[in-house]
This record gives sequence, C-alpha cells and structure tokens, in this order.
Amino acid sequence: MKKFINDPNKVVDEMLEGFLAAHHDMVEKLPTSRVVVRRGAPFKDKVGLVTGGGSGHKPAFIGYVGDGLVDAVAVGDIFSSPSAGQIYNAIKAVDSGKGVLCMLGNYSGDVMNFDMAAEMAREDGIKVEQVIVNDDVGSSPKDKMENRRGVVGEVILWKIAGAKAKEGASLEELKKTAEKAIFNTRSMGVAHSPCTVPTAGEPTFSLGENEMEIGVGHHGEPGVKRMPMKSADETTLMLMEKILEDLPFTSGDEVVVNINGLGATPLLELYIIYRKVYQMLKDTSIKVHRAYIGEYFTSLEMGGFSITLTKLDDELKKLIDAPARSPLFVQ
Amino acid sequence: MQEKISFSQIVEAIKAAVEKLDEEKRYLDRLDSPIGDGDHGRTVSNAFQKIVPLLEEGEANNDIGRLLRGIGRNLALSAGAAAGPLYGTAFMEAGKVVEGKTDVGLEELTKMLEAAKEGIKKRGKAEVGEKTMLDTIHPASESLKESLSKNLSLKDALQQMRKAAKKGMESTRDLISQKGRSSRLGERTRGHIDPGAASSYLIIEAAVDFLVDKLS
Repeated sequence: MKKFINDPNKVVDEMLEGFLAAHHDMVEKLPTSRVVVRRGAPFKDKVGLVTGGGSGHKPAFIGYVGDGLVDAVAVGDIFSSPSAGQIYNAIKAVDSGKGVLCMLGNYSGDVMNFDMAAEMAREDGIKVEQVIVNDDVGSSPKDKMENRRGVVGEVILWKIAGAKAKEGASLEELKKTAEKAIFNTRSMGVAHSPCTVPTAGEPTFSLGENEMEIGVGHHGEPGVKRMPMKSADETTLMLMEKILEDLPFTSGDEVVVNINGLGATPLLELYIIYRKVYQMLKDTSIKVHRAYIGEYFTSLEMGGFSITLTKLDDELKKLIDAPARSPLFVQ
Repeated sequence: MQEKISFSQIVEAIKAAVEKLDEEKRYLDRLDSPIGDGDHGRTVSNAFQKIVPLLEEGEANNDIGRLLRGIGRNLALSAGAAAGPLYGTAFMEAGKVVEGKTDVGLEELTKMLEAAKEGIKKRGKAEVGEKTMLDTIHPASESLKESLSKNLSLKDALQQMRKAAKKGMESTRDLISQKGRSSRLGERTRGHIDPGAASSYLIIEAAVDFLVDKLS
C-alpha cells in the first residue's frame, strides 16, 4: 500500500482537521460528535437536510455541506456507516422546528443507523423523513430495485433537495420532490483498478492487467461482468444501453448528465466518455439540460468512472439550475 | 440448585462476554476479511468496551431491564457500522421484557432471547438462513423455548442453548450471504463462517460458561 498518510486508524480524523481548517468560513464540526454542519445552522423556516455515510468518497459527503445543498453530514470511518448517535446529533443540530429530511445510500449499515437515529429524534418531537438512494443499475435487476445501491444519484439529490429546501418547502413537499428526483435517476459504473482501505492494507478486489469490471460499486462491490479492457466508446455504449433501457429514457426527454471519476481517472478521459454520451443522447433525441463532468463521488483511488442520468421536469430543471455554494461544489 | 440468575451475575456474565470479544477480536477480523472489510472484531470489541462503565454504574440500581436497555442504547449510539444497531437493538429489546427485575430465571431468559432475536430480525430485515447473526441466535432462542417446555434445569438449558448456538454459527459456513456487504459476493461467501454469527456465539459462549460455573 502506497499512501501519503500517517496512521491508518486516524485518516478520517486527520482529513477532517485539514478540511475544517481550510473551510472554517463555511462549516464547523459539532463539539462532541463527528458531524460537519453549516455555519449558522439551524436556519429559520427551512427544513434541515442531513446526509452521511462512510468516508473515502471525497468530495462526498462533507464537500456538499453548504448553501443550496445539505446542512449536516455524519462522518463515518472509511466505507463504514456513521453511528446512529452521530446521525441523531446531526438531525438535532439542523432542526429549526420545520423538520429534517435524511438522505442516505441504500447500504444495510447506513439504513439501520439512520432508522435508529430517526426513531430517537422522533421521540424528541422532531419531524424526520427519509429518502433512500438506489440509483445503481449495476447492483441489482429492476425487479429487485429495493436491493440497489446508492451512488452518484446522491449528489443530484442533494443539489435538488438543497434548492427545494431553500425555497421554503415543507418537509412533505420536499420529500415528494426528493423521491421524484431519485426515481428519475439511474447510474452505472465501471472500474479497471481497485482501491485500498488504509486499515485493511489490501486492495478491495483484484483485476487482471487487461481486465475491467462493469457495474462495480463505490466500495469495490463486485459488478455484473468482468471482461477485457475496451475503448472509451465501447465501454460507454455498454453502460449507456443499460442506463437508458432501465428507466427508460426516451426521445424528447430532458436530462442532467453526470460523468464521475472514481478517484484515479483523469478529466481527460471523462470528457472522452462524455463525448460519446452526448452523441448517443443526441442520436436518441434526448436533450442534455446540464452536464457535470469531474469527481463528484469517488471511491478512494479506484480507477474507473460512472455515468448518471436524471430525467427532468420543469420543477427539477429549476432546482438543478439554482445557485449553490459549499466547500467543494460551487454553481 | 439455584434457579435464578441475580443482577450481579448478569453484570459479570456480560463482562465475561466483553473480555471474550476483546480476546477474539483478531479471530473475528480474520473471519471478516474474505467476505467483509476485515474489521468486525475491532468494531464489535470497541463497541462493547464502551459499555464497561455502564456495568460498573449499574450496580447501584439493581434493575436488569434498565441495565440492558442502557447497554443497548449505548451500543446503538456509539458503534456505527451494522453491528452497532443490531447488537444495540438486541439488548434494548431484551431489556424491555425484564423491566424492573432484579433476577431472572429460565422463563425470563427465554423471553429475553426471543425479544432480542425479533429485534434483530426487524432491524436487519433478515431471516434465518441468510448467513447473519440470526443463524446463531435463532437456534439458541428455540433451544431455550424447548428446554422451558421440558422443564429442564437452568444449567442444562444454558448448556443446550450454547450447543444450539454453536451449531447455528457453524451452519453459516455452508450458506450464501443474503444480507449486508458480503451479500454482493454471492457464491464466493460459501465456505466462510459469518463474522456476525461468530461474534454472537462468542457472547453466548462467554456468558453461559460464566453462569454455568456459578450454577454448579
């Protein structure tokens, strides 16, 4: 394992120290819990937005704590859910009396800890609702959507829900919009090299020199198929076919596209991928309303990328276009 | 033959389990490596170390239900991962059925384990046979029910339960994981004992060994 770290057991705490020092004007940490909150939270007459999950996905999750995005993040260890206690503290820190929406990826540890935190917060009289993200087409067939993992769709959700909350939406309205956004979102990824969790010291999976794996998850979960490396166009075609048929996205739709690097894939390659995505969408008469190309939700130093499409209606278009500002996302 | 377990014996039995998890954390990490992320032993041991102060403080109130609920809340709040909410729920639910009790017999123990099992099933949305801690706890709970109906002594019932739990844990070796991160590995999980089933067995083993020793 070659990494610029000090103690494998302290990577999250030491990262957080640096992050807070760099972005102290926008965010702070709760004094007794590993939770990053927006300065000034809770905000009057605004539903609080909480997310959280394991670390190792920079800029997610903490990079999105900001204006027009989320209000608090419970920070777990690398690839490991934060505790119910952290999530509960996050909920309490951002509730202005208007309630709190929790957004999380569909992973068993996260689901259980968010459930327990929500139960405890409700006992305190806080209104709490949840939206569970399951956009990864590669993780389970469509008839078992409840088993699908949540990946980059979370970023799209934070952006949309953040804008909606800022408009002053009620918790019920916000939940409805958030569910619509996730329902309309589909992602799929591919990797050609694994990542190494510092405390484990070994790569999460192994692939041959000339192999790639389609459908790999954000923590190195096995995908759908291993095969010899293919070109950018061929690989993009395979992913896009799965994504397009799944919703399905059809002629006349308007979409937001996210091409996400998993940690070790350069922007140069991501734009080559987007070139093909754009051509395919154009050929199918699907209009790209907005495109995000870059690292939005990584998997440490994994080599690979994911494609995410969200179908937009007038409401979602307005929300995705709204300004936002956080330490690692500005629009 | 003593047929009740006192508050202080419960405290000592849990302390024995905490020590056992600490001693065996590397073994549990090794079980977790091929099918998880190799930290189950450390996660569970760290979580249980944090309940030690509650075991010390608990002496004062003498209420088994309150003690177990406190332990459960503490595990759930501080542990994270999947182990925190699952063990936390198990202890909280077990505590609810013995509210205010200063000692417990076979009947209460049977109710406690049944409640813990139901709590885990609900929290983890799991069923028996999915290669989880439930595969240890379900047969242990069934064994206590059977012993209760046969009027076995508390000591015999505990020993039967430990056997059933061990068999249950070992059964996970041939199962394919259906829950949690390891479920993504499908067929590749066969041949490995589930780390959660193993940590559950270690807790049962340590507590039973301590109690059986006191009962003889």
